[in-house]
Amino acid sequence: MQHVEISTTRANPLVDPVLQVWGWEIPVYLFLGGLVAGLLALSGFYLLRSRTASERGAWPQAPMLGVVLLTLGMGALFLDLDHPWYVWRVYLTFEPASPMSWGSWILILVYPALFAAALLHPPERVPFGAGLLAVIRRGSEWMWARPRLVQAIALSNLVGGIALGLYTGILLGTMVARPLWNSAILGPLFLFSGLSSAAALMHVLTLVRTHGLVDSTYADLLLHGLFQLLKPPGRDPSTAGEAMVRADAAFLSVEGALIALFVIGLAASTEVQQQALQLLLTGAYAPVFWCLILGTGILVPLVLQSLELAGRIRHTVVPALLVIAGAFLLRWVLVQAGQVSSWT
Amino acid sequence: MNAPFYKFDVFGDTAALGVAFAIGLGMGWFLERAGFGSATKLAKQFYFRDLAVLKVMFTAIVTAMVGLFLAAQLGWVDLSLMYLQPTVLWANVVGGLLLGVGFIIGGLCPGTSVVSVATGRIDAFLFVMGVLASQFLVGEAWPLFAGISEAGEMGQITLPGLLGVPYGLVVLAVVLMAAGAFVAAEWAEVRFGGVDRAAQPLLGAGWRARNAPRVLLASLAGLALLGMAGGDPYRGPRVVIDERELALLIQKEADHVTVDDLATWIVEGRMEVRLIDLRHPAAYAAGTIPGAENVPLADLPAAEIEPGERVVLFSQGQTHAAQAWMLLRARGMRNTYSLLGGMDEWNDRILFPELPAEPPPDQAAEVERRRALALRFGGSPRVEAAAGAPVAVPLPAAMSPPAGVAPPAAPIPTAAPVKKKKKREGC
Repeated sequence: MQHVEISTTRANPLVDPVLQVWGWEIPVYLFLGGLVAGLLALSGFYLLRSRTASERGAWPQAPMLGVVLLTLGMGALFLDLDHPWYVWRVYLTFEPASPMSWGSWILILVYPALFAAALLHPPERVPFGAGLLAVIRRGSEWMWARPRLVQAIALSNLVGGIALGLYTGILLGTMVARPLWNSAILGPLFLFSGLSSAAALMHVLTLVRTHGLVDSTYADLLLHGLFQLLKPPGRDPSTAGEAMVRADAAFLSVEGALIALFVIGLAASTEVQQQALQLLLTGAYAPVFWCLILGTGILVPLVLQSLELAGRIRHTVVPALLVIAGAFLLRWVLVQAGQVSSWT
Repeated sequence: MNAPFYKFDVFGDTAALGVAFAIGLGMGWFLERAGFGSATKLAKQFYFRDLAVLKVMFTAIVTAMVGLFLAAQLGWVDLSLMYLQPTVLWANVVGGLLLGVGFIIGGLCPGTSVVSVATGRIDAFLFVMGVLASQFLVGEAWPLFAGISEAGEMGQITLPGLLGVPYGLVVLAVVLMAAGAFVAAEWAEVRFGGVDRAAQPLLGAGWRARNAPRVLLASLAGLALLGMAGGDPYRGPRVVIDERELALLIQKEADHVTVDDLATWIVEGRMEVRLIDLRHPAAYAAGTIPGAENVPLADLPAAEIEPGERVVLFSQGQTHAAQAWMLLRARGMRNTYSLLGGMDEWNDRILFPELPAEPPPDQAAEVERRRALALRFGGSPRVEAAAGAPVAVPLPAAMSPPAGVAPPAAPIPTAAPVKKKKKREGC
């Protein structure tokens, strides 16, 4: 007979706060949520500010991409739930005092804003049939004929994006049991990290488009359709890319400053918070924090992008990919290190 | 402060990763700025058209070599603590050839391929993926390659050690070799690469620009010559020991003396040996064997010991004394011994021996002798009671009793009077 020995002493993750309750799902959701927040805010901002049609259409794929990424992120969140099939109950009430309630409603309300923005930029071709395209076109024309509506959609994107970006950070900040997260800076930090990764993502897509892949006859039907979907109508992609690089650099600088404030805030707090901070500064997470989040995630891309803008080095996707990786690692490390930090 | 910093524990693992990150960024940056992120530029050297890679790498090697050589002689770097990749001759030959073939096919070496990826080149990305995939495959199929990886193992060797020539001579030879390679490379670039030296001076126009490489090489060679005057850059003497001789000595137990022998020598006034206590000064101050001098293990290499001098080394237990014995033997001190069992054995057998209360008549004389010996050295015998448990007797202060005996109630006196007392009692 096989003998199995099970030790249950404190093995329940809910007993000991040092044990990890959150696995990969939450950091992935926070990253994708931040990215979508950035996409929303950026496309809303450009829609609101733009005067000409070509300016409006600079990143038409951003809202549609946002829908896909947000759904992936919500999927990760769904997997993290203990009782996933009761998730609908969250939407039967609104609790102003509960950050989770705020978050759930923001997540669900962002969808119509994204869809409406996506509808404003109908693709030139869709993979499935021309009949569908005609319907989409008609809807789009109807909306463009009403400037107030377009303005409202743009505003809803901008506000929704900022709300979503702030929320991903505030979600962590409300968990008082984890001293590392006891900082109001996390909200703006995650918002600006989301903005910079969104700008980086749009930069990557702009560059991919300009590398001659778009109209390649070698590409198979699916790829061809995909790239047609991503192709912007008009507008010089190099200027669009450059605008993204500028935006990215600005967001990265703010993000760096916010990380500094986050560190200063915790360092000036109680002993418990200072100990939690040491996890990032000198502890087990220090190499990733210093090298991959601050180093290759913020400083290296900033230097590379300024060199690109100055025309000193070639324009490549590398800094943008580094920014995206750094944004992901920021969530990953903060969620993991936060769960290690405790009051004991 | 002294390099290598990591091995001297100036910083820990976390900071070491940070330093590695900074060095990696710097190296990547300069490789990229030198144009080494381009596979075409790298491939040109195999056609002798553009030998910039060879020149840069040789310059780096020569600069680092001369710098390390001089820094070691100035005492800034301890070469003994630097890691030398062990030479595994046939594995290195096979691996080197494979790397070379891969270099020619891909146009990149592992380092430059990462640099090339950082500049957004797709070929480099594929190259790195290939490197990672083959590393994975080799790892999975390791038993097949394990034999090759150990073929021709030679340990950590250096050219001066292998050839038996002074360090500085090898350094100078490599500098001269670099100079020769530079001249040959310049010639080949004109011959095969169609480089017009007159139209494209290496560093622009002017005497300084034209002669900069020559000045650099000449000064490196001069520094190497200067360094030769300093001799061997390694700190400690490197020695060759006769393994078989030492192994035989250890097996014949000719490497140590016992505490009984030592006590007898002391009592009979036949102390013709130099007794060295290798322990920490604090332990020495708290009590030692009469007549011993204190030389902590780390100071042993600097201790002045005559080649023919008879030396008995002891530590608390046995290990450090045995290791110190090896060090002194390696230095050619032939009359060196360790004290078997060390201070622990001294306390157990000489100071606080466990003696039967009523010894059988044939052992009575021996027991009495041991009791006298213990009292002579300031200890006290533990008398076995009828039940078998030793009875603790009051101990003189400052003698640390062996485990199992109640510690003395008296406070531990300061070091100086203890030493005086011991000397008076012992010798």
